[in-house]
Amino acid sequence: MLSMMSRGFLSSLLSIVVFAGTPFAETSDKPLVLAPFYTEAEFDPPPPGSYALPMLGYASDGAILNTLGRSESLHEHFGDGKVVLLSFIFSTCTDINGCPLATAVMYRIQQKLKDDPAIGERFRMISLSFDPAYDTPEVMALYGSDFSQQGDWRFLTTASWDDLQPILDSYGQSVIQDIDENGKPLPSFSHILRVFLIDPDKRIRNIYSVSFLNPDLILNDARTVLMADEPGTDRQAGLQKVSTLSKPGDYKEGYESDDYRTRSHAVELRTGQKADLLTFIENPPLGLPAVPQPENNPATPAKLELGRKLFFDRRLSLNDTFSCAMCHVPEQGFTNNELAMAVGFEGRSVRRNSSTIYNTAYFTRLFHDGREESLEQQVWGPFLAPNEMANPSVGAVISKIRRMPDYAGLFEAAFDGRGVSMETVGMALAVYQRALVSGNSPFDRWHYGGEQAALSESAKRGFEIFTGKANCSSCHTVGKGYALFTDDRLHNTGMGYRESMGIKPEKQRVLLAPGVYVEVDRETIESVGLPRPPDLGLYEITQNPHDRWKYRTPTLRNVALTAPYMHNGSLSTLRDVVEFYNNGGVPNELLDPRVRPLELSDEEIDDLVVFMRSLTGDNVDTIVADAFAAPVGDITIDDPNWAHEATAYD
Amino acid sequence: MRSETLKKWRRTVLAIGLASSAAMAAMVTPAFADETCMSPYMAKIVGQEDFVYVWTLGIEGVGDGQDKLVTVDVNPKSKNYGQVIHALSVGGRNEAHHSGLTDDRRYLWAGGLDTNKLWIFDVHTDPAKPRLKKVVTDFVAKSGGVVGPHTTYALPGRMMITGLSNNKDHGGRTALVEYTNEGEYVATYWMPTDENLQGAVKSGKYADGYGYDVRVLPRRNMMVTSSFTGWSNYMMDFGKMLQDKEAMKRFGNTVVIWDLHQRKPKKVLDVPGAPLEIRCAWQPTNNWCLTTTALTSKVWLIYEDDAGEWQAKDVADIGDPSKVPLPVAFSIAQDDSGFLLNTFMDGKVRYFDLSDPHKPVQKYEKVIGKQVNMISGSWDWKRQYFTSSLLANWDKKGGDGEQFFRAYDWDGEKLTKRFEIDFIEAKLGRAHQMRFGAYALYAKHRPAQQPEGSALASAE
Repeated sequence: MLSMMSRGFLSSLLSIVVFAGTPFAETSDKPLVLAPFYTEAEFDPPPPGSYALPMLGYASDGAILNTLGRSESLHEHFGDGKVVLLSFIFSTCTDINGCPLATAVMYRIQQKLKDDPAIGERFRMISLSFDPAYDTPEVMALYGSDFSQQGDWRFLTTASWDDLQPILDSYGQSVIQDIDENGKPLPSFSHILRVFLIDPDKRIRNIYSVSFLNPDLILNDARTVLMADEPGTDRQAGLQKVSTLSKPGDYKEGYESDDYRTRSHAVELRTGQKADLLTFIENPPLGLPAVPQPENNPATPAKLELGRKLFFDRRLSLNDTFSCAMCHVPEQGFTNNELAMAVGFEGRSVRRNSSTIYNTAYFTRLFHDGREESLEQQVWGPFLAPNEMANPSVGAVISKIRRMPDYAGLFEAAFDGRGVSMETVGMALAVYQRALVSGNSPFDRWHYGGEQAALSESAKRGFEIFTGKANCSSCHTVGKGYALFTDDRLHNTGMGYRESMGIKPEKQRVLLAPGVYVEVDRETIESVGLPRPPDLGLYEITQNPHDRWKYRTPTLRNVALTAPYMHNGSLSTLRDVVEFYNNGGVPNELLDPRVRPLELSDEEIDDLVVFMRSLTGDNVDTIVADAFAAPVGDITIDDPNWAHEATAYD
Repeated sequence: MRSETLKKWRRTVLAIGLASSAAMAAMVTPAFADETCMSPYMAKIVGQEDFVYVWTLGIEGVGDGQDKLVTVDVNPKSKNYGQVIHALSVGGRNEAHHSGLTDDRRYLWAGGLDTNKLWIFDVHTDPAKPRLKKVVTDFVAKSGGVVGPHTTYALPGRMMITGLSNNKDHGGRTALVEYTNEGEYVATYWMPTDENLQGAVKSGKYADGYGYDVRVLPRRNMMVTSSFTGWSNYMMDFGKMLQDKEAMKRFGNTVVIWDLHQRKPKKVLDVPGAPLEIRCAWQPTNNWCLTTTALTSKVWLIYEDDAGEWQAKDVADIGDPSKVPLPVAFSIAQDDSGFLLNTFMDGKVRYFDLSDPHKPVQKYEKVIGKQVNMISGSWDWKRQYFTSSLLANWDKKGGDGEQFFRAYDWDGEKLTKRFEIDFIEAKLGRAHQMRFGAYALYAKHRPAQQPEGSALASAE
């Protein structure tokens, strides 16, 4: 039996509920902060179907009592082709921003549904008490009597705390009975107001708190859920592809000027198309010789596929953040246009610029200092370097790959039953990299193919300078039947010498935003930077003093795609590079005699740059598209030895 | 007659509301607000906080070298006042950065910008001793390639997480990622780019797709995001980066206005120079937020104009922009009257008066340390806490690289230091982001008296 006081209180509460949501009269009083519902929404809810409501989880079941005291499951009240709005309340709640608010909003919805029977027939509201001690079925029947007669609004409770608690836990409803300063229980509860929108398949589609309890918004959410066609097509509206693939997605040309404008690509649209790269090994593009392959590692589709998977697998680093492709980014010429010098594990500094991988198939000296001789062996350098992928040992990498379920059987299939080993990992990666041969550039079609129109007159003049006055081809070689644009040897241009011996200016000009520069004191820079590690080039490999500051001649194929330039990435543009050589490099006792002042005019420099821009192969987009189609390996819950649960830390 | 009824009803509402507040143990109310920098969807501590949780980066060679959640007792009535009472190491160095509480304030989500993990700490079972509930390790795979989980921001029943980078090029293009409170992935919302503006208006010259912080004004159905830089830069040695011409082109220059409910970008605003933290006004008629640009050292006002259009304009310089003071975290007063702002390079905090948000005026400044990054203020703004670390490889080197937690009182005019903890001496690491805890939030777990506890001299 309800006491008269309780009846009176309920009556008062219901009167509040009925009037709640009506706009306040103007007043000078400063009220406590109220939910937006009481003061009317300040915005029009987005139209139904103009957005998605992804699933937030399944709505749990539980044992409840209806207003007749009959035991039922909560799920019996879900489904029926209806969207359900579920609110947790207790009838004695007095927090104006709590249960009365939820009930008031639901009452308003009930009134609105009368004007829209189409949605009304597919909408149900449930108020479930979290006070089983006081809110008996009888109390809930009284609480909801005025409402349940006007539409599909059900008032439920539970038989005990034991029945209620699992429901509260599953809906993330933290309910705490308040206590006074002496620890005695008070009749009130602290709880976070949450109201749940549940679709006919018992999936939670939205959760509302005080700030979101807007009747129109909730009804539009319900309409959105019920709309047969999800708004997938809307997302594609206005989508425009703006460029070819082989360009940085984050375009920064002209950033030095205030006129700079973004031309950014969307990461989420970076999708590709798998290509048969083996054809490039079997039939190299015009301008390139036959691709050398080790006798013990001929290319096969299975090896190439496996090598590609390894190349893009970020799990192959100590902390699962670094793949080969993080420094050799496909659309950035398989180098990194965004950094002068690479950054590795935990942000550790790498001394040199990332080299391109295009056409490495032809080189016998790898890395800027030429310390490796084959792609098969080279891969282990970055794997084990503490400032690159930082793996602790060969065994650690092999063991890790063996335990990744998505590699199961792949090595055995590619290597005639041989499993994961130091050798097979190197072989697979080498085959993929060996396939990245790129030629048939405008220059090739002109020079080797006889297409006179393939090259501009400026580029043709540039080639004359390249092989003549400037004699670039003495190191960047051009043969009769093909051109690698490198002699595969190492030279001292003075760039390394300057880094080691040069005196830095007291102030550094730093670009802060498009067109915004400041001069920063050297002292300031050094306060936040570690000293740069020494770099002596080939000397570090041979220990021969004559080899100080010698670095490998890079190929110029695809050079337009591989900025910034030089072993330390210190030159941003091809014009900067030509000007560096035009000035004779940096004089030092070991300077290569071929590096000397060239006395090129501005026009000749322009022609040289135009010529170098003509060296971009016609298959780079094919190769990049193939790379985009490769899976990027990131940690999933299927991977071993990763703590997804707290037990590992307890 | 109707007017009388309304007034009568309104008086009833106010009376009930006030009575309710009084009954709610005085310190805690489920309401819109929190300590002034957090999501409006959670319970707030309006009185004295008991704890500050400091998300701390491990330093190789200092203690166990691991990232950890450090609990500092900050209640002056506690016997352990001013001491570290707990430290929970999580394994590895992950570029521990920001953290945020769920709407029910029972869990603290903390992100690692390097390894992309999210640690979900239970802070309600024993607020003095957080425990690890779950580790999300597959954030990148689930989100479709988002790297660098930064802000973990409470929405009803879920968390909105801003990314800083991506797994394709480690650059700045990124997305927002939504999770349930239980740690289940919900959806990814990519930042608008020129190629895919997603219906947004590119109002100026830039649509870079970068991300950093997120805040919302629910009554205006508005969500706002800022833009920093990608993994390659935030993980790089700061001095090296300043000298890298290419890297310095990779900073965000945009603030994006979103339709909060639709989760769709509406307008891209030009805010050049890496706009970082966002703080929105608390007062119900103030339709504006603030951000500061780290590189160009300006305060920017993001505001709704008379026509209902969201705009951005720079409204004040911070120190001498030519010296790149690097403004970082700031804390806004809950009455929107002013804000306290840290600048990393000179180690200062500055107070700006906001009587006119279109013209903030600096009124006070004080050196907090040789470097300073985060600031957290109590709801009444009487207590302000500071920590030192910005990013592992951006922090100052050598003797200037001090690491601390410092507690101050703020009387509206000046700061007075109460205590400090040297995080190097205590073998803890780089002190970064702070969140508050209080027994009063979890009534049933409140001990009969303040805990004796045992202060930690070093990490466990």
